[in-house]
Amino acid sequence: MTRLKGAFATLAAVVGFAAVLVAHTLIGSSVPASLRSAAGNRPGGSPSNSSKTPTTTVPGPAGVTGNHIVTGKVTGYGYGEVAVRLQVDNGRIVSVKVAKLLTADSYSQQIAQQVIPMLAREVMAAQSARISAISGATYTSEGYAYSVQSALDALKKG
Amino acid sequence: MASVTFERANDTSRRRGQPRQATAKRLSRPPRPGVVDLAVVLFGLGLGASVALALTAETAAGMKAPGGVAMFIGNLTGLAGTYLALVMILLVSRIPVVERTLGQDGLLAWHRRLAPWPISLIVAHAVFLTIGYAQAAHTGVMHELSTFISSFPGMAIAIAGFGILVVVAVLSIYSVRRRLRRETWWAIHLGMYLAFALAFAHEVVLGPSFVNHPLTQAVWSAAWAATAGVVLVYRFGLPIYRSLHHRLRVVELRPEGEGVTSVILEGRHLDRLPISGGQFFEWRFLKRGLWWQAHPYTVSARPRPPYLRLTVKAVGDHSAALARLEPGTRVAVEGPYGAFTAHARRHQRAALLAGGIGITAARSLLEDLPKRSQPVVVWRVASEAEAALAEEVRQLVSHLGGKLHLLAGSREEFPLEKVVGLVPDLATRDLYVSGPEGFVSGVVGLLRHSGVAEEAIHSEVYAL
Repeated sequence: MTRLKGAFATLAAVVGFAAVLVAHTLIGSSVPASLRSAAGNRPGGSPSNSSKTPTTTVPGPAGVTGNHIVTGKVTGYGYGEVAVRLQVDNGRIVSVKVAKLLTADSYSQQIAQQVIPMLAREVMAAQSARISAISGATYTSEGYAYSVQSALDALKKG
Repeated sequence: MASVTFERANDTSRRRGQPRQATAKRLSRPPRPGVVDLAVVLFGLGLGASVALALTAETAAGMKAPGGVAMFIGNLTGLAGTYLALVMILLVSRIPVVERTLGQDGLLAWHRRLAPWPISLIVAHAVFLTIGYAQAAHTGVMHELSTFISSFPGMAIAIAGFGILVVVAVLSIYSVRRRLRRETWWAIHLGMYLAFALAFAHEVVLGPSFVNHPLTQAVWSAAWAATAGVVLVYRFGLPIYRSLHHRLRVVELRPEGEGVTSVILEGRHLDRLPISGGQFFEWRFLKRGLWWQAHPYTVSARPRPPYLRLTVKAVGDHSAALARLEPGTRVAVEGPYGAFTAHARRHQRAALLAGGIGITAARSLLEDLPKRSQPVVVWRVASEAEAALAEEVRQLVSHLGGKLHLLAGSREEFPLEKVVGLVPDLATRDLYVSGPEGFVSGVVGLLRHSGVAEEAIHSEVYAL
């Protein structure tokens, strides 16, 4: 009888394990879809993410004339908040700066400061928010990319 | 007080004019084996889900980063360890239906068996995450520890909680624990509640499976809140309510034999107290020097409203102190607990095997057994003088058409084989075994060896 109960518990454990993984793939994190499409193409990231890029507009600032400075949305990424300020000159991103950075703890601050210059370089290179996340700083990268995307969106609308 | 009596001679039918002497009829509700099956499945689901939760926060890239592997192991062990700790807390949370079904000694056995797992997993969690964060920040372990305390939200209190956990865990190791007084250890052990309360904040604020995942955060928080609620309701609320409701106080102390005393209590509404023969309460005698410790003693008869009785053998400080109680002492109770009841029967007939003071559970159980059970009672006791309640047991057994074997003498004179040997047709009876640990484990071992089905063996161990 005890052995039967053990088998039930094991079976239930497998079901619980699978259920959470399935739910995770279906629901995903609370990070908005637009952000995931931006940051999902990281090496080792699930390929399904890269295939579903919902943005129908051109990802970069191509076609925007004149010189603009635009600030992205303040994006909470769990360990802190980040917002970027983009300078766009005749359809090219010429600089990406941090407009706001607030972290929950000093370790996250340390990480953010280490990776933000790398993320800025990636944005400049990609000329869009489609950047790969930096290993060890996935959430920071996602938050950063989301703010970049929101700045580009604002630029096109306005 | 001479009118208080718990003997069978005071049958309700014969003393209709004195309703105060009638036996309370309200039995504890029956056990629910289905609840156990459900709990087992929920346990498995939760464990699988906790492990999976650690995986959801992981990426291949994260694993490759400095400290990534250590951090992953740290998160995994933290989630699994904390989940198992939650299960351990639930095992001793005194949920009535679980207590009735599995019995408290069964639950405590599982609690003890499980204990090394959450402790070692949580220790691993602390070690691996410190190493992992130190690797990620390219710093030393000691420096990382000070960073945790100074700048991570919720980490200072979590580390304090971890300290408590380690201290309590070390004191709970058997070789250390047996050097401590039971009450001292019990008080220290309550520190575990504090430890897990302190740890909670850092789990949901920093845990990568919870950050940015409001759903998992909500589920995890709800599970812990529910556990805290269950503990508060059943370990504190219900006992306080019952104690205030019944207002028990000591009315008489009656010597029953060598070193054996019956404590007779008077209380209100005892007719409405759901209790079965063979169950016990944790008793707290509200008197200087005793109020802070609760001890388990079996009820030695069904309540005779307004009276309730426990019978105790002086073997330790607490049980010896009971003989010196003064009438009027207020008594608080937790319970009744225990699965050693007539509900557990699988067969028509029964046999009760009692060692020494273990007779008290058998004595109150006899009141709940039907006539067709024809109980054979084998009672081994060191001497006739210690055979407390012998007259009551004899009357009850003869009323049920059963047979009593009172074996007064040494263990050599009456070895356990002889005790078991006195029960005819073992296979067709329920076997209720009560007494000191050595007696119970010895008899149960013999019964199993004789091929008695596990479901037919019911035991109650008297901790000394």
